[in-house]
Amino acid sequence: MTAENKQLRLDRMRFIKNKLPANLALLAILFDVLYFVSVYRSDVRDYYYTILIGASILYNLVFMLACFLSSEGIKNYKGRYALLLLALGAGQFVRIFILPARAHGTVLKKVGTVMADGQYRYVVTCLVASGICCLAAAIVGGVRSSQLRRYQAAMEAGK
Amino acid sequence: MAQLRLEHVDKIYDNKVQAVFDFNLDVKDGELIVLVGPSGCGKSTTLRMIAGLEDISSGHLYLDGRDITQTPAKDRDMAMVFQNYALYGHMTVYENMAFSLTLRRENPNVIHKKVLAAAEILDLTSQLNKKPSQLSGGQRQRVAMGRSIVRNPKVFLFDEPLSNLDAKLRGATRREILLLHKRLGATMLYVTHDQTEALTLADRIVCMSMGHVQQVGTPLELYDTPANLFVASFIGLPPMNFFDVRVAEDTLSAGDFSVPLTAEQSALLAGYRGREITLGVRPEDITEGGPLALRVLTNENLGMSTLVHGHLGKSRITAKLRGWKSFRENDTVPISFQKMHFFDKETTNAIREEARQ
Repeated sequence: MTAENKQLRLDRMRFIKNKLPANLALLAILFDVLYFVSVYRSDVRDYYYTILIGASILYNLVFMLACFLSSEGIKNYKGRYALLLLALGAGQFVRIFILPARAHGTVLKKVGTVMADGQYRYVVTCLVASGICCLAAAIVGGVRSSQLRRYQAAMEAGK
Repeated sequence: MAQLRLEHVDKIYDNKVQAVFDFNLDVKDGELIVLVGPSGCGKSTTLRMIAGLEDISSGHLYLDGRDITQTPAKDRDMAMVFQNYALYGHMTVYENMAFSLTLRRENPNVIHKKVLAAAEILDLTSQLNKKPSQLSGGQRQRVAMGRSIVRNPKVFLFDEPLSNLDAKLRGATRREILLLHKRLGATMLYVTHDQTEALTLADRIVCMSMGHVQQVGTPLELYDTPANLFVASFIGLPPMNFFDVRVAEDTLSAGDFSVPLTAEQSALLAGYRGREITLGVRPEDITEGGPLALRVLTNENLGMSTLVHGHLGKSRITAKLRGWKSFRENDTVPISFQKMHFFDKETTNAIREEARQ
């Protein structure tokens, strides 16, 4: 990329929305939805009827809200939302070891294996994809936000 | 280079209503042509046919010598600015201006340069991040123009772009369009029913009525030498006064008043002696002092001048007299006509030297 093109790309950011990370954050929500739809529709009787499933539902709500707000924030080059997205992305990876991993390793007398291999792979893929989307959105959004901030500071300084 | 030629263009709708009759026009490169006329005269239809938004029923349209009669609108390389702006409400000014180029998948950096250049021309640089709802009417219209400018079309088409603006903004935006035309040097066609816009903007005016072209000429030609009664009555504000008069040897007689003719005028009207013609006098061609008696009904002071409405004999007349006047009802003001226009009563065409010969 030539210096002029780089300059133009930076200047363009003053007028166009930061759409790529914003859309990645929305994609993260979509993968999260696919994850919890698969988990909650399972007929595993008493295993899920614990405090864990209640906490999982609450976390999903918080995740979706926070992720959507971050999407809107990062769309407008607000760098602090990149940090929130980083945390949300990391959280998705942690979640693999809270519910799916424990359910996958559990065998109940009444129902047998709580989470079969196929479902386990599916929900883990969804969480990983969601986490990757969040982290990518955080990195791209954060980098672009700081680039724009520096560019605008330079403009104001009259460089 | 963008020369436009319309040859014998007609528009007949499916219901057999003919909106435009035998329209012929040569638009030179860089010319600003204004189509003017009352509502329903076919001016917008003509513009839409040029844009490709309406089919041409018969005749031909040429752009730079190439017949584009059947060419789809998107391939005509023309940009149209509408009365209602047609901006996307959910997009910013920048995005609105860049939209057509984005659809064409142009390089984003090239788009950026073009949008900034257009914004600079239209003084919209500080508004680029705003949505149309945050802009005034004039600014929205400038955005609509900007959207056309970035495309760098061969021909700009304006369909009553100022009709939604208030009087003050209309004047300001009109001047901006004029400056824009000078700056871009582009070929422009502009439709309006407002004769002030037509007179101030146009290189040439096409005056239309009932689908027919009445006269094509410079603003001065239309004002000074109207081709017929319609043009004479439509161009000029306040409108021209008309009187039915009978031609005598050296006078025009209206029964209750008569107007002396010069030798030149007598010669011009020699063929009409003893017949009735229509005499036209512009309000601004009437001066105070003279053989005619204007009986005042009311007057409107405009500061530099006063519009005096009254009667000349039994005929209604409006005179635009210099200075601030305070006439009362039934006052008699002596007046004279500085310039007169003569029209054949049957054909309504102007009686001119060339017509006489």
